[in-house]
Amino acid sequence: MECRVLSIQSHVVRGYVGNKSASFPLQLLGFEVDSINSVQFSNHTGYSHWKGQVLTADELHVLYEGIKLNNVHHYDYVLTGYTRDTSFLEMVVDIVQELKRANPNLVYVCDPVLGDHGSMVRLLIIRVPCCMCVHAVMDLLHAMGPDTVVITSSDLPSRLGDRFLVSLGSQRHVRPDGSRTTQRVRLEVPKVDAVFVGTGDLFAAMLLAWTHHYPTDLKTACEKTFSVMHHVIQRTISYAHELAGPGRRPSPPQLELRMVQSKADIEDPAIVTEATVIS
Amino acid sequence: MECRVLSIQSHVVRGYVGNKSATFPLQVLGFEVDSINSVQFSNHTGYGHWKGQVLTAEELNVLYEGIKLNNVNHYDYILTGYSRDISFLVTVVDIIKELKKANPSLVYVCDPVMGDQGAMYVPENLLPVYKNKVVPLADILTPNQFEAELLTGRKINTEEDAIEVMDLLHKMGPETVVLTSTDLPSKQGDQFLVALGSQKISKVSDGTNTDQKICMDIPKVDAVFVGTGDLFAALMLAWTHQHPKDLKTACEKTVSVMHHVIKRTITYANEMAGPGKRPTPAQLELRMVQSKADIENPAIVVEAKVLQKSSQ
Repeated sequence: MECRVLSIQSHVVRGYVGNKSASFPLQLLGFEVDSINSVQFSNHTGYSHWKGQVLTADELHVLYEGIKLNNVHHYDYVLTGYTRDTSFLEMVVDIVQELKRANPNLVYVCDPVLGDHGSMVRLLIIRVPCCMCVHAVMDLLHAMGPDTVVITSSDLPSRLGDRFLVSLGSQRHVRPDGSRTTQRVRLEVPKVDAVFVGTGDLFAAMLLAWTHHYPTDLKTACEKTFSVMHHVIQRTISYAHELAGPGRRPSPPQLELRMVQSKADIEDPAIVTEATVIS
Repeated sequence: MECRVLSIQSHVVRGYVGNKSATFPLQVLGFEVDSINSVQFSNHTGYGHWKGQVLTAEELNVLYEGIKLNNVNHYDYILTGYSRDISFLVTVVDIIKELKKANPSLVYVCDPVMGDQGAMYVPENLLPVYKNKVVPLADILTPNQFEAELLTGRKINTEEDAIEVMDLLHKMGPETVVLTSTDLPSKQGDQFLVALGSQKISKVSDGTNTDQKICMDIPKVDAVFVGTGDLFAALMLAWTHQHPKDLKTACEKTVSVMHHVIKRTITYANEMAGPGKRPTPAQLELRMVQSKADIENPAIVVEAKVLQKSSQ
């Protein structure tokens, strides 16, 4: 498989968020990952202390220039995550536009929503906190651009009870005869009693990987993605409780994802969540 | 395995040098890798063009402070490689000293990158810093012949010279020394280069010291690779961790992984370049991700020969 991803996310010295969360799993699955680190921090901002440096929009541009001057600015995927800086985000958009000119088949995996630049986004992961008619939400998002939309968590009541949350996905295809079809799926995902950081970044990376392997089968892509998340989270929470000791709440360092230890699950996840096709 | 490495090396957006070269193999082998990126460049400096930013000594301190304030400055290994900046290197030394105080069992794997084939490619004033401050802290050292000669002030013309130089390096600090490549003639002919290693082992039972000295004949490859030294140092860390008193096996595994990665890389590079054309630096980037299975479980392709064993 020859597949190159440009991932523009944070770097932390210790722990798993941003590029630290996305790169290793993608590399394990055979993707070449070029990574631009938008910041370098000691650790994520959920710890008591954090220190480091941020990349400016100009510095981002300089790095991209280097890639371009060598004529190696050819990517199959671009992956971005959280950014706080408008000018940085605008530079990212410019870069993605140029990369799409170089490769019109480029897939841009975006977490979270890019506002009125949504026309560039082919695959979108969003978190919707409130109860809206989900079909309406997803169709609205498709209309903005992305062919694939996954609502990672919603407040819809789960059939399996209040220990579960509902996630939804929707993917538009054009059939060989030119007609359009939409596959919608729904998953009941077990809730976990802990706050994790970096899970969204891992989710986006894994959705990239599994939609790559199953481009017209959102059901399977989501089952694999959510299953990997489950295994990593379970392993992490077991270990965190072990470290914290009985009756104590684990600390942010103790709750860092057990990424390296989850290699086998990332490579070949046992499916633990079945997606229901809802239309 | 609960083993945490602090690696302070370069980051390139594209390709495999520095932390990009070291991190994935170590993670694949189960190590937790904390990485401080000393620079962020678009790609390594062997391409037609390169652009990016460097981390200052002050910024390095700030990052370390963050780790320390959270009381997570506990490492089993430190790994460092190429550095161009004296004040940066001195700050690295201070950090290592503090980490060794926090964990006296910490192992510092040091690749004293200064040059090759008789020429320095870092500023000359780094040599005294390596000699006087860095190497004394190192536990595992991976110099090439030129770097070993610079550090000890002795030339290597024979195997005996190499052994003497490794013993001199032991006296400067590191218990494990690997001469990653030399110009010594190989018994297998001129398609091979000679590498040597030496490890001091103290017997806890009776306090005596022995050492194991090994030598390997490694097939030469007709291409210039970048990042292979960084991969080598990371693999030495991993395999000496698995085989702490068996330098022979640690070196065989390290060199074998190198062989598989390099062969895969050169095959692919020649394919990309086309018949009769020399591959470009971009085409010669290590096939790291594709070599996962070889990294995890290398088929042994080089046998290390144990040289004289001596007791002191």
